[in-house]
Amino acid sequence: MRNEVTLNSRGQVPNGLASSFKALQQWLRASGISGQLLCLLLVTLVFTASTQGKFLSWANIQVILNLAAIPAIIAIGLHQVVALGGIDLSVEGVVALCVVMVGLLAHNQFNSNNVGIWIVPITLALGGIVGLVNGVLNTKLKIPSFISTLGMSWVLWGLAVFVSKGQTIPLVDNPLSGLINGSVLGIPNLALVALALLIAVQLVQDRTRFGRYLYAIGGDEVLSGQAGVKVDRTKIIVFTIAGMFYGLSALFLAVKLNSAQAITGNNLLFPAITAVAVGGVALTGGIGGAKNAALGALIVTALNDGLILVDVNPYAQEAVNGVVLVVAVALTIDRKKLGFIK
Amino acid sequence: MQETENGSPTNELVLELRQITKSYPGVIALDGVNLAVYHNEIVGLVGENGAGKSTLMKILIGNVQPDQGSYRIRGQAVRLRDPAHAIRLGVGMVFQEGSLIPNLSIMENLFLCHETEFERFGVLSKRTMREAARTALTTVKVAEDLDTPVAETTPAVRQMVEIARLLWLSRLYHQKNPVLILDEPTTVLTQHERETLFAILHEITNQASIILISHRLQEIVENSDRIVVLKDGKNVTDFSSENASIPEIEHLMVGHTFSADRYRENEQIEPGQKVVIRVEKLSKKQKFEPISFTVGEGEILSLVGLVGSGKEALCRCLTGLEKPDNGSVTIGSKRVVAGLPSESVRSGIGHVPVDRRNDGLALGMTVADNLNLLVLDRLKTASLMSPTREKRNALDWIKECRIKTPSPATLCANLSGGNQQKVVIAKWLTSQVRFLVLDHPTRGVDVGAKEEIYRLIRKLASDGVGMVVMCDTLEEDIGLCSRMLIMKDGRLVREIACPPFQKPSPSEIIGSIV
Repeated sequence: MRNEVTLNSRGQVPNGLASSFKALQQWLRASGISGQLLCLLLVTLVFTASTQGKFLSWANIQVILNLAAIPAIIAIGLHQVVALGGIDLSVEGVVALCVVMVGLLAHNQFNSNNVGIWIVPITLALGGIVGLVNGVLNTKLKIPSFISTLGMSWVLWGLAVFVSKGQTIPLVDNPLSGLINGSVLGIPNLALVALALLIAVQLVQDRTRFGRYLYAIGGDEVLSGQAGVKVDRTKIIVFTIAGMFYGLSALFLAVKLNSAQAITGNNLLFPAITAVAVGGVALTGGIGGAKNAALGALIVTALNDGLILVDVNPYAQEAVNGVVLVVAVALTIDRKKLGFIK
Repeated sequence: MQETENGSPTNELVLELRQITKSYPGVIALDGVNLAVYHNEIVGLVGENGAGKSTLMKILIGNVQPDQGSYRIRGQAVRLRDPAHAIRLGVGMVFQEGSLIPNLSIMENLFLCHETEFERFGVLSKRTMREAARTALTTVKVAEDLDTPVAETTPAVRQMVEIARLLWLSRLYHQKNPVLILDEPTTVLTQHERETLFAILHEITNQASIILISHRLQEIVENSDRIVVLKDGKNVTDFSSENASIPEIEHLMVGHTFSADRYRENEQIEPGQKVVIRVEKLSKKQKFEPISFTVGEGEILSLVGLVGSGKEALCRCLTGLEKPDNGSVTIGSKRVVAGLPSESVRSGIGHVPVDRRNDGLALGMTVADNLNLLVLDRLKTASLMSPTREKRNALDWIKECRIKTPSPATLCANLSGGNQQKVVIAKWLTSQVRFLVLDHPTRGVDVGAKEEIYRLIRKLASDGVGMVVMCDTLEEDIGLCSRMLIMKDGRLVREIACPPFQKPSPSEIIGSIV
């Protein structure tokens, strides 16, 4: 009698014809991106219909992939902090400073520096250091990440303008420009880089101890600490990785524009946070991976591209983005975790 | 000290606590407590609230360090640093509120922080994890999908996952016969799940020992090999459950010591004829069934019942913190708008919450500010706040209530627990409240402050305030109240009059409660 007793919260999976459909449903549910795929499909259908198929032309798809790549890279960095239960608002400042550093250290028309290909590790390191400081401010000085990273963004922005004297620094013969502006079989290289990063981060999240701890902290910091997770260390590493992603984006932006100026960092935070939220990463932490962030960036970019194609007033487009953000957060946030809504 | 021939399957000791003493400022939580756990047995641990059970558990898992006494695990004297250390030595606890991370899956929770086992070149092997998880979960008969997030499972499954995790960890650290501590495991379970739990626990005893804490004595008697009773931080007794009877345990839990003068019974007044509050057919689905009662002027009504009996929900409905489904609350002749704390305060209903630090006081504000909070309108001169009158009012009440504070400008955060509670009660005294709900008014305060709080409660009563109290111990309930309502499983089961010097004894009452 005792041996037959089992506990099960869900019903048994039925066998037969429905089972393959059920399996697909379960995979979609477990993957956590079913809603996002549906959303992307909806955007595609609406705009394809209203542009007589122009939206789905190969040329337009290339445009979308090219435009989505950098927001996707930023979002893949940013969402890790969000999954921890924090937020990183330092994106714009980090990018501004890193772009200016690229301008001053790579071959340029402003000074005689030329570090060549070394610019890659240098920008990664700079972004990483800023992330490290963000992490330390958050964990050791116990400053909420909302404030510490917001402050950091303004500090770095000020520094970037000061160092560049507010000027635009034209780049000369950058060794990366071929790579960044090129494409393979018509797919922009930047999109391929974003895809590679997405796969790498997703793998770390799914298949390593570090990934497990990241989500454990996002789920419940106190309980994770009790279980033995090194909470502070994990958080600092996550902030550092996020900073490195922003540094990399800055490098790509500078090379793409073939010039460096502080304002390149402007208007990057909002699309990134929208992408993270639309992708289904809960702002309360613990839910959503790199695939969510990247898919979110793709949806937001496709939406904006579509709005341009159907000739919507640019100001109205910005309003649409605001609505999208609020709706996405409303759908993904876990209100049980918020004691007070501040 | 311990009797060794008391029915445990083997007589080998796993845990032994001797003469454990732990005191907190003003309270002795544990006073020379002994506890022994043998191989393959279930020990039932019972005692009233505040008897020291939770402190004892915290010491067992290394959350709290004892002041005195020895702790041996398998004969080795130990000094535990933290719960992780206890787990490495094979002692783990399933907490009432659970310690699993809600967004992680069952499998991820099982092995959290001990995944090194499954790592190949830094990558976790899902296949080997799955196999290990299946093996671990068959012991506790969980047939759930391993990838289900814990938040989507039932409390019963979560409990089983925690038990499986503790058993798996003890194997990982090569600890034979681990000790599992279960704190009130059945409160969140259905009848069927309860049976399953005990069936599994009995099976587990072939590889572990279990300490079972429960308020449901029936469960303890039926399922444990030995019963340990704690009272006021001391061992009362320790006996085999074969010859245990529930009335006997009840008697041991509440004891005899009962002093009339402690609760100022001579100051207890005859409640006035006038009804202060009338509760009619108040109900809340799944919390309590329709209930009606009145509280007269100066009457102290005590609500008694176990956690989950519905008394907390009832009080939350009375104070407007929760909205009842049906029924009405009338103060004087005015019906109180339900579910709005501000309306309740306006109607003259006060509330002294159990968590005074978070709910009862503005800790970052001064004593004077807290005292004046409800009477700001009365302290105005020409529609502006008058600092002089504010200070005078505060000083009057500090004196009246004997609040020990350096000055009215001291922050409430810097007062002792007892004095903070006096501020909360004084705040309602100033506001000329007509009805007051006191939720565990003496929780965590020392003996001296308790006396003061009893005095204030008597004063409120003589001012004609009607009160509903829920106390820490049954004795306190009996001592304070003029009438007692006993709730069980959401229903009012008994009403007992408690006139001064003719009080019922706890053992007469406890049978209706459990």
